[in-house]
Amino acid sequence: MEIDREDGRTQNQLRPLACSRNILNRAHGSASWSQGDTKVLAAVYGPKSGTKKNENPEKACIEVIWKPKTGQIGKLEREYEMVLKRTLQSICILTINPNTTTSVIIQVVNDDGALLPCAINAACAALVDAAIPMKHLAVAICCCLTESGYVILDPTKLEEQTMKSFAYLVFPNSILSVLPEESLLVGGERMEHGIITSVTHGVMSVDDYFHCLERGRAASTKLSDFLRRNLQRHQTNPSKAG
Amino acid sequence: MDSRLANSWRLTVNEKNFIKTALQSEIRIDGRKPYEYRKISIKFGRDDGSSEVQLGQTRVMGIVTTQLVQPYRDRPNEGTLSIFTEFSPMADPSFEPGRPGESAVELGRIVDRGLRESRAIDTESLCVLAGKLVWAIRIDLHILDNGGNLVDASNIAALSALLTFRRPECSLGGEDGQQVIVHPPEVKEPLPLTVHHLPIAITFGFFNDESISVIDPTHNEEAVMSGRMTATVNANGDICAIQKAGGEGVTQRVIMQCLQLAIAKATGITKQIKEAVEVYNTERSLRKIKRHPTSVGTIVQGGQTQTSGKEGVSESPGNHIERLKQLSGETCTSQSSEERKTTSTDGNAKNLIRGPTTWDPYSKGVGPELLKTSLASQGTSMPNEKQDLRNEKKPGEAEVEGHHPEDANPGSSAINESLTGLQTKKERTLEDAVKPKSKRKKKASSKTGAS
Repeated sequence: MEIDREDGRTQNQLRPLACSRNILNRAHGSASWSQGDTKVLAAVYGPKSGTKKNENPEKACIEVIWKPKTGQIGKLEREYEMVLKRTLQSICILTINPNTTTSVIIQVVNDDGALLPCAINAACAALVDAAIPMKHLAVAICCCLTESGYVILDPTKLEEQTMKSFAYLVFPNSILSVLPEESLLVGGERMEHGIITSVTHGVMSVDDYFHCLERGRAASTKLSDFLRRNLQRHQTNPSKAG
Repeated sequence: MDSRLANSWRLTVNEKNFIKTALQSEIRIDGRKPYEYRKISIKFGRDDGSSEVQLGQTRVMGIVTTQLVQPYRDRPNEGTLSIFTEFSPMADPSFEPGRPGESAVELGRIVDRGLRESRAIDTESLCVLAGKLVWAIRIDLHILDNGGNLVDASNIAALSALLTFRRPECSLGGEDGQQVIVHPPEVKEPLPLTVHHLPIAITFGFFNDESISVIDPTHNEEAVMSGRMTATVNANGDICAIQKAGGEGVTQRVIMQCLQLAIAKATGITKQIKEAVEVYNTERSLRKIKRHPTSVGTIVQGGQTQTSGKEGVSESPGNHIERLKQLSGETCTSQSSEERKTTSTDGNAKNLIRGPTTWDPYSKGVGPELLKTSLASQGTSMPNEKQDLRNEKKPGEAEVEGHHPEDANPGSSAINESLTGLQTKKERTLEDAVKPKSKRKKKASSKTGAS
């Protein structure tokens, strides 16, 4: 049974993606990521010397500042900052530059659903633009669960609000390697099947959640391809001093 | 955090001397003359009331929102206007998040004074129920990139956002006529704000030696200059506000010179803002037109093919990026933006009109406009684009109705015929009644995508 989505997409169809890097002049790295009408601008400054009081000085620290489109900064923004910070901390190599802070600033340009995944993707691209060392990249996707138990990908704001539940999932990006397959497996499974972050809203059964994960994983391969193609296309500026 | 001091940026002595010496020979480090403004580009987002202005390397985003609130006691039948400036840490490593610093507050005050005191926005029209409910306009200015002269860029962003903002229409109802019903945009078309005039802020920088003054200082020049003045003027020649907060003292002659220069520049900038808003409004009205996918009868088959904008990631993303940069809501720039306009209307296109098969790019007499044929599936968009094209290119010409529009390039009769054929099949709308056009534009990216 086909689900009718408002904008005519099928269940597994993502909105048109667009990513451009190096758009700001002062920031060390910047990227803008848009999925359909949702658009997020990310800028990276770093590494700067010193860490905050509660942070471990033996490791690099990532600081995330989330700027909403309008209005005061509230609890939702703080939650997004925390999720983003933990996600980025798990993909960056923190031991390379100890006692430094890398700031990631997210500016919401337009919110039309799947805002947090869009921001994670933008932050990832901005980190690449700033040449921050990372283990691998992260691709984020939003999976929604409808009343009838179907999973739809990349919902718009309207769909997000009317759906029973949805999950933001972040996977590592797919690996392109010359090494043999066996050495890439972690505990018997491919590395890109691991989940970095999962944030759910609403109630869903365990089976439904695993269903979402499956769909999300499939979509993450496509997203990784897009990201890889996009990153290979442009070259970054060598120096951004001052 | 005191370790942040180590991260603050300072200009070296050599760079400072270089800037000053260059200015003595009337050269600025980015190649401009002392009284030359940087290039301004104004873009708009998908929603009403969001603008992004780029002034050289400075980038500012302006968002306008509104809310129904109780009015102030001493002004019971006037709406309110409030400006929030965010010096985002994105713009400059020395900007800290949290409470706005003094320069952020000053910027907010300058923009606010320009709009409020000069009565540029009509606040009385924002009153819904006198003494009970009025519209409160909130302008958020996000500084994205600090390339110098944030005041001017923020002012232009605020003005463009205000001009494209639409507030919901509301009506009084209920038994005693005291209940306010706010109509959502789908039910009733939202209304634009009443803007009487556009106060443009122009900033000047003064330097120590021999009263050198420059207009629109960049970030480096701001670090060197010893005084600044912002004059908010409008195109009518009125001075709305002047801000000169301390700094180097300058003679009266220099001040008068700066004010006259400001008025001259303001006319140019006002025109630019109005043009950009005009293009946005046209594009917006195109989007509002309800589209039927099968409206076009004959489709001229051609060599150019392009996929519609709805595909998922499985389509070649390379094309997407280029197309989507134009598609994703950016509707206009200060330069001619017909391509953008067309592409943004194509975002929902399902059917495509292909160009004529015998199209030869090097045939004589084919102008650049004719080389781009539109891919809009619905013919209703055609007359509007051509209308704007016509407006921009030949303003003095008499309007031509009917299916045989004038053609500046007689060598492209083949194209004309196909266009004429198409034109007969389109739905007639109000725009049709005004100025049907023959010229069409193709997405520039379709050529790059197909090639």
